Amino acid sequence: MTTNVPVIDAHPTVPGLPKNYLNCSRGFMSWAGTLDHKRIGIMYLIGTLLTFLAGGVFALLVRLHLWEPHGMLFTNEKYNQIFTLHGAFMVFLFVIPAIPGALGNMVLPLMLGAKDVALPRLNLLSFYLWLSGAVLATLAIVLGGFDTGWTFYAPYSLYTNQAVVTIGLAIFLLGFSSIFTGLNFIVTTHKLRAAGLTWFRMPLFVWAIYATAILQVLATPVLGITVLLVAFERLYHIGIFDPRLGGDPVLFEHFFWFYSHPAVYIMVLPAFGIISETVSVHSRKPLFGYKLIAFSSLAIAIISFLVWGHHMFTSGQSTYAMFAFSFLTFFVAIPTAIKEFSWVATIWKGSIALNSPMLYTLAFLIIFAIGGLTGVILGALNVDLHLHDTYFVVAHFHYVMMGSIALAFFAGLHHWWPKMFGVIYDETLAKIACGIIFVGFNITFVPQFIMGSQGMPRRYATYVDEFHGYHQVSTIGAMILGSGVALMVYYLVASLLQRKPAMENQWGGVTLDWQTPTPPPLENFYAPPKVTHEVYDYSTLDLKTLQRPVS
Amino acid sequence: MIALLTQDPQAPVNYVANPAPAPVLDKWGQLPELASTFDHVDGLFYFTYIVCIFFFFLILGVLLFSVVKYRRKTWDQPAASNVTHNTPLEVVWTVIPLIIVMVMFAWGFKGCLDMTTVPHEASRNTYVATAKQWAWDFKYPNGSTSTNEVWLVVGKPVQFYLESTDVLHAFFLPSMRVKRDIIPGRFQSVWFTPTITGEFHLFCAEYCGKDHSRMYAQAHVVTQAEFDKEPWNPPIDETNLQSLIENGKRIFGQQCVTCHTVNGTGSVGPTWKGLFTKQGDQYVGRQREVIEGGQKKTITVDDAYIIESIKQPDQKKVAESPYDRNTMSSFANLDDKRIKCLIAYIKSLADN
Amino acid sequence: MSHDGHHSVVIPAPGPEFVPHTVAHHFDTPVQEFQSLKLGFWLFLATEILLFGGLFAAYFYYHDLYPETFREGGRLLSWKLGALNTSVLLASSWTMAMGVRSAQTSQKKKTLIFCGLTVLGAAAFMVVKFFEYKSKHDHGLVIFTELFSGYDEAAKQLPWFKDYDGAMANVPHGHMFFAIYLTMTAIHGIHVLIGAGLILWIMKGTAKGRFHAGYYLPVDLVGLYWHLVDLIWIFLFPLLYLVP
Repeated sequence: MTTNVPVIDAHPTVPGLPKNYLNCSRGFMSWAGTLDHKRIGIMYLIGTLLTFLAGGVFALLVRLHLWEPHGMLFTNEKYNQIFTLHGAFMVFLFVIPAIPGALGNMVLPLMLGAKDVALPRLNLLSFYLWLSGAVLATLAIVLGGFDTGWTFYAPYSLYTNQAVVTIGLAIFLLGFSSIFTGLNFIVTTHKLRAAGLTWFRMPLFVWAIYATAILQVLATPVLGITVLLVAFERLYHIGIFDPRLGGDPVLFEHFFWFYSHPAVYIMVLPAFGIISETVSVHSRKPLFGYKLIAFSSLAIAIISFLVWGHHMFTSGQSTYAMFAFSFLTFFVAIPTAIKEFSWVATIWKGSIALNSPMLYTLAFLIIFAIGGLTGVILGALNVDLHLHDTYFVVAHFHYVMMGSIALAFFAGLHHWWPKMFGVIYDETLAKIACGIIFVGFNITFVPQFIMGSQGMPRRYATYVDEFHGYHQVSTIGAMILGSGVALMVYYLVASLLQRKPAMENQWGGVTLDWQTPTPPPLENFYAPPKVTHEVYDYSTLDLKTLQRPVS
Repeated sequence: MIALLTQDPQAPVNYVANPAPAPVLDKWGQLPELASTFDHVDGLFYFTYIVCIFFFFLILGVLLFSVVKYRRKTWDQPAASNVTHNTPLEVVWTVIPLIIVMVMFAWGFKGCLDMTTVPHEASRNTYVATAKQWAWDFKYPNGSTSTNEVWLVVGKPVQFYLESTDVLHAFFLPSMRVKRDIIPGRFQSVWFTPTITGEFHLFCAEYCGKDHSRMYAQAHVVTQAEFDKEPWNPPIDETNLQSLIENGKRIFGQQCVTCHTVNGTGSVGPTWKGLFTKQGDQYVGRQREVIEGGQKKTITVDDAYIIESIKQPDQKKVAESPYDRNTMSSFANLDDKRIKCLIAYIKSLADN
Repeated sequence: MSHDGHHSVVIPAPGPEFVPHTVAHHFDTPVQEFQSLKLGFWLFLATEILLFGGLFAAYFYYHDLYPETFREGGRLLSWKLGALNTSVLLASSWTMAMGVRSAQTSQKKKTLIFCGLTVLGAAAFMVVKFFEYKSKHDHGLVIFTELFSGYDEAAKQLPWFKDYDGAMANVPHGHMFFAIYLTMTAIHGIHVLIGAGLILWIMKGTAKGRFHAGYYLPVDLVGLYWHLVDLIWIFLFPLLYLVP
């Protein structure tokens, strides 16, 4: 893509400072009532980072409790509430909304050369639905908490004497927040592309967000109706999930995973999108196998609707169902493997800048290799019967969710931070933090793989003695990981206070998001951009502009 | 929020009562030593493991090599190559993984068929495992029962019918590579053939509420001769007080310890310590406030009260939080002899 | 919003009784705006269908599990009232379509009349629904006043399902049919009410002259929504009332 003459050279020479989206208006309402996708993205960023920190605190409490086999801090009941809070906050309030809500909102219209998303009011509504969900989830804690696990399996979620209806309502609202975000991005991608930006000139982040959006729109309503039915079941006992009334709890599992498996890809596809961008920009090399990556995103989106049964291999499904679900589970591994290989091939013979976004990206590539490969182990039917619901599964999905998705989110955050705020963080601290997070993460979860294959079941407040050593190592790792995240938060906040100016095009990107001023003006581009080159064509990069700091 | 994060004033009694010794690990140190005939689980596990390690180091190697060799040394250094795709390479890295995962799929499916097809020998040796919050009841083919411990015969295929009286549970014997969800209202079963004698963990693997982690049973795999002695039903000498107390202690450890303690701290249910005090040779029951039919009243603890509390637990509820709202399921299946043991054990707590 | 020197596109009004429409600042052309909103709305309708899809899946699953319950339960519903409601909704879909057509041809008065008729149809539907619910209440099949009383653990009984006539005594889990009937028709009823509210909002805009041949998109979209509400009922009616 990109234009022959970078648009940044076409700045109108406005006397005084040109206004950007951050300083063009002031006051509480200019944010709370904003329709600007960038400001909404910033609000999402603050919100999701806060919920991430809250979820992280819950995680540390879980790990501290497990320091001793009999549990160190809590009664079993409270431990159950805390691991539930950790899961629910991380999944519904952070991992699902974070990348589309914060980075997608910020970057997608820039990459498309659009002035805004197609439906700005709906975009703001999405944010407020997210906020209401977050407030309700917090309210549920005040009302006594909930101890069902983030999966809300019936019939326990129907019998437990806790605030399940409140958190159910929260998830319903969060679901619609996610649906509206996805809907908005689909329309934006279809209708608001800049002149010359054909489908195969779109950056892969856009492709990934687009595939995610399809999943958000098509899978999330099923979650909505499922939590509604659980709420109805608790309020007036329909009976459809309650075995006392002739209902079948397994139907709940089917409903839940029909959403929640695609949800795994709602979480991970945007992360793939970020990595596609950072790998290319920081290797200054066109992405290897662009079309195959784009199509693999769509393939994943479609196949992911057909593999939900692999969460239920032990529930006594028919042999035919097991056959199909296992087959498709292995099959969906292929487009994922293609992506990983393509990223590695992109780095090969590139011009590799070892800056902090790239370090986070490399950490992602290593951790995701483990996360993905251990998923293959779990896809095998007979092996899964042994590993299902053990710490092996816990470690596997943390390698995907925390190690891959959160690290990709951090990579994207560091990558677009200068674009968002026009300032650059302390690069040395950033590299140190990335190292601490990488080391801490692996120390936390490698022992969990070992424990799990030896039979340590998940969601245990207490455990038998032989797992003591592994749990202690894991807890130490979690503390290291936590301190790395704390350091990251510190230098990111500090960068906003110190205001060390970033470069106009900090990393030398050639997609449209790097062709606007930094930070971008209210409507993103001073003149409508026109795309005349293929995507990731670094021969068009004007190296002179790289050294120009923002005004 | 603050209340949520602080520890309950009642000290948690949070540990499984009677854990089996740690299982011996197999020679690779990854899985517990296999104690059933399902060796294909281990075979496929290690096959996938090796494939994963190969690809992991392949990726890691290429990454490290590239980072060292192609590191950007000057700020304007272009990429060493601008290749955008290579169709043969892409076909290779699509097709080879596809072949490998299809092998894994077929292997896994075949193993799964083995694990779900119950052979005749197993269906003639059928146990019933009833899961409830938070204990396991086992019924042997001859109709006798035990709780939180189960005895199996080495080399003899066995099938378990799995029942739940309340919520979801899962029957998980790591050493046997066996796991199955237990779903109220649905027929579920597992089978396996134990191949070595010893004690093994039997966990609940599906989250089932407060004491999920303490829902534990020990599986004893013994020889046929041992099994025939019905070790779950040791003889009780009713004339010997010491035998009664020891059996009472054993039954407590199997059935009651999930919710009760004998050390004075409360758990799900009230502690047993202090129910009686010793005055001379006599055991005197304490006064206790209970709720019966909605009425609060004070009673004196005696044998009849304990028997009633075991058989109809919610008849008289201790009028003290949280016991007034926690419910206990009936243990009416305990015979008089065993209840006598328990009473003797409870009284013996006053001895020192 | 500052427009940085961009001028938004304005669609002129076809007559003095109408007001012009300003295309939102981030769209370049009216066509782009029209297509974007329409695509977005179709996607939203897809989510509605999937939401009901969950309910339909539950219906089919339990119909398969307890066929007699659904057969006997269905007999207790009045297919005549159901048919009446079906024709009311079908007719209201026609008036809605006419309302959209009138807006497209800038016929303000006709738009108001047809939209008004549609709202009347919605009201008639809800009145019939009320009498249906009342009959279920009187027979103890869905006792609305006891709906939230909880499950009676000791008696193993649902307070809201007493079945005074014993009509469901011979089938397993008789409450199941009525629970699903209630849940599906109630969620559908809420959609009818939302639809009626949206049509009233359209009428307000029409009265102000906001919708005309140059800009009738909101009328169009609300019309689509109303047809979806109708369509879902077209599936609910045979499944609940006619299948026995």
